[in-house]
Amino acid sequence: MKIDSQKCVGCGRCQHYCTMGAIYFRQTMGKVHAAVNEEECVDCGVCERAKVCPVDALYQPIHDWPRSIRGTFSNPLAEHKETKVPGRGTEEMKTNDVTGRYRPGFVGLAVEMGRPGTGAKMPEIEKVVMALAALGVEFETKNPLTSLIVDRKTGKMHPEAMNEKVLSAIIEMLIPLDQVPRVLQAVKKVAAEINTVFSVDLTSRADENGLSPGALLAAEHGYKISINGKTNLGLGRPLAREV
Amino acid sequence: MSHTLHRRGNEENLKEDIIVFAMSAKGINDKNSKDKLQHFLRIMHRHHPVNMGDMKTGNLFSAGAENIIANVQDTSIVHAVFTSKEEVAKVIKEVKEADLGISVIVSGIMTDVHQICGQVGIKPHTVEHSLGIMGKLSRLPEDELLQITTMCGHGMVSSRLARKMLLEVKRGRLQVEEAAQKLAYPCVCGVFNPARAAKILSQLVDLWCLDEF
Ligand code: SF4
Ligand code: SF4
Repeated sequence: MKIDSQKCVGCGRCQHYCTMGAIYFRQTMGKVHAAVNEEECVDCGVCERAKVCPVDALYQPIHDWPRSIRGTFSNPLAEHKETKVPGRGTEEMKTNDVTGRYRPGFVGLAVEMGRPGTGAKMPEIEKVVMALAALGVEFETKNPLTSLIVDRKTGKMHPEAMNEKVLSAIIEMLIPLDQVPRVLQAVKKVAAEINTVFSVDLTSRADENGLSPGALLAAEHGYKISINGKTNLGLGRPLAREV
Repeated sequence: MSHTLHRRGNEENLKEDIIVFAMSAKGINDKNSKDKLQHFLRIMHRHHPVNMGDMKTGNLFSAGAENIIANVQDTSIVHAVFTSKEEVAKVIKEVKEADLGISVIVSGIMTDVHQICGQVGIKPHTVEHSLGIMGKLSRLPEDELLQITTMCGHGMVSSRLARKMLLEVKRGRLQVEEAAQKLAYPCVCGVFNPARAAKILSQLVDLWCLDEF
């Protein structure tokens, strides 16, 4: 995002909307105006969409690769070329009744880098991806972040992407149920080595009682499961066939 | 894209925060799903949600209900937010009877959602749980602000805006409801719950001392 310093009247209305705290004030030839710290800005578009600028001074330049990564991961209105899904992830459990992506005996595990609200730089994301790759997890191929992993065995990410920062990026995996404690342990370990935050979640095909075998196993190993969550009601048709 | 999963809060305020949403599966049942998604949204609208939306069009405050419904596409994800499980039970009953054949997801306190499923005769198909936040937790704002900002899972509601709105209410420049609506505005999917935000803000107004930041 950029601010036209000629137009800006320095009213400050846009500043609080910035998700990354990247809007600051400076003086150019005696005039005080707002400016965007481009290093920290993730091109999420929130400041512009807020429609608070009285003089239309905010504008989003069209960026080429690799800067374009920021917008596609941070602005939910930008559609990923790879998935055609707007936003940062896949359809995940939302359509599982129809797609059958998560089968009994398997668990979907997602590490949502930069959530909530801190954003994540690519080298931080790479650290977590590498820690997970070392365990031999299967990264979700339809997830846009997976397309930035150049070596799925080591978790090495595209070197040209390394200077980029995103509002959030979801590392999405499918793992056998019995691997949940091992993978979560690795996630917990790498959490201590990064300079940002992530949110973690588990998806399971519901058991007979409507409960999540993945979450039950995580709870057995001492992980705190939040009281709120998401339930797919199974009303989609055709229902996925399960073997 | 678990945009409604990681809402922070406690039992008291999360019980008034239930999101019902629907989408079709790409390449399987998405063709001509637009009518079904519109039908779904009309059911939602009849039950007076506190917010609703479709990312491609906007939310109740930025776009308005009629606009949201009129602009639904086959690829839309359509949402509505409610504050009582009794109302959601009625909503889900109607959705089930409409037999639309699209995926329907409910976000809320798990035991409440399961109770609703039991009442309506639905067996949950797939469940997703949050394991919370890990990493450099010192970079996070106060949890009270996170309870507000995490109502937009895409991170469109800045904690700076939440702090600013609280300050405006404290100064008497905005009513809590107005401040909550301003907070709901950037959440393009319409999953932000302004009623819950207003309650949280009114509790904080008495408790918090704030200066300019
Ligand atoms: S695009 Fe997003 S990160 Fe960049 S200045 Fe605007 S609100 Fe801040
Ligand atoms: S809202 Fe517009 S005029 Fe006001 S500080 Fe921001 S860019 Fe400048």
